[in-house]
Amino acid sequence: MKVLTYCAEHSTVHTMGDADAFGKLELELRRGVVVLATLSQLRAPRYGYELRQALADKGMAIEEGTLYPLLRRLETQGLLKSEWNTEGGSPRRYYSLNADGRKLLKKLTESWQGMNHAMDRLLQEG
Amino acid sequence: MNANDVIESYVTDVAVRLPRKQRNDVAFELRALLNEELQDKAEATGRIVDGTMAVEFLQAFGRPADVAARYRPTLTIIDPADGHAFVRASITGLVLIWGLGLLQFFQRPIGSGWDFLQSLGQWWGAVLIPSMWWPGVLVVGFGAASWVRRQSPQTSKWKPRAGDRINGGRTAMAMGLAGILCGLFVLIEPRWVLDLLFGGRAAPAAYQALTYTDTFLRRQGPLLFVLLTLNIPLMITVIVNGRWSAMARRIEIGLGLLTCAAMMWTVLDGPVFMARASNGAFKFFLVLIAAFTLINYGIKLHRSVRPAPNQQGQS
Repeated sequence: MKVLTYCAEHSTVHTMGDADAFGKLELELRRGVVVLATLSQLRAPRYGYELRQALADKGMAIEEGTLYPLLRRLETQGLLKSEWNTEGGSPRRYYSLNADGRKLLKKLTESWQGMNHAMDRLLQEG
Repeated sequence: MNANDVIESYVTDVAVRLPRKQRNDVAFELRALLNEELQDKAEATGRIVDGTMAVEFLQAFGRPADVAARYRPTLTIIDPADGHAFVRASITGLVLIWGLGLLQFFQRPIGSGWDFLQSLGQWWGAVLIPSMWWPGVLVVGFGAASWVRRQSPQTSKWKPRAGDRINGGRTAMAMGLAGILCGLFVLIEPRWVLDLLFGGRAAPAAYQALTYTDTFLRRQGPLLFVLLTLNIPLMITVIVNGRWSAMARRIEIGLGLLTCAAMMWTVLDGPVFMARASNGAFKFFLVLIAAFTLINYGIKLHRSVRPAPNQQGQS
């Protein structure tokens, strides 16, 4: 998260050409963390819109067109379980981590923290 | 169209691109989510939900084909790493096919603009459009190679390759040597082939067809014989050493280029055989061999790497 914040803070000083490059590189960075961010917010069941709001509230806005298909892909990969809730208002499909998803989240979190720590040290040296 | 109709149309466009077993379920979920998102946006901007707003929202959401693709694992037919090689092979092959086609259709005399357009039209229909088989073959070839690499990453691992190795090993080189000896046998006296195959009882016309002209026997024949013969000690040396030395490579390229030049001289000079048909066929094969050799050298030159720093000021 710190890496992304760092990039955003420095985006305004670039020229037009650099802004293009910055946009592409920032997108690459975001792509790398979207899965981890999503998994982190599914320890408890959430439906798509609620999950997107939760991520946006914590500073990780993900486009709807990216997030909703991602939930289905993660489910197909055997990392999430889901169920429909049709009681009350509009029907909603709730997703949450299954056992494999929890294990993966743990591993990815450790990996991310290691990379984040290394990046902090690298960027401080500069 | 009202907002519901717009969303319904969008959801259908996405869902129809999905596998049948998940299509309806995804459509049901997506419709509910889009309605909720749109409602939320309307409240945030103080607008009333209508068809225009729904279209704007869904256009920002993404093309239905893109969104549908995100629901499924990425399907890669040609590896991104092979992209440049694919484009290069496609363009090279197409240019070659089109060029040979142009030669074929424009070698007859063109007397008027109409003739030119007619030849161009024939080339278009008979060469240019059917030439699309080539990129198709490449897609299948590159796709199969990618599939094999994904299926057995162990066997597809990179392995070091010695620059001086013999392609195909000593066996291939020995076969090449045998080929040279056969070539010399035919070059010395092509009618020996008839004797060998028919025991001297071939038709006189066949002997006549394979009789060299005096000009060829006096001019190009001896030169081609010497050049082919010089390959024998070279190949024996390589077979004995089990590798190409730098000197052997240079001699091979030099001999190859000289042989190509001699072959082209033979093609452009007078007839080789007394009979017109055998003369044409022989010259066609000479052109083919020369073209293959030169293309092979061209590819080697293009692929050669000589590590060196760029000049200062260049990037």
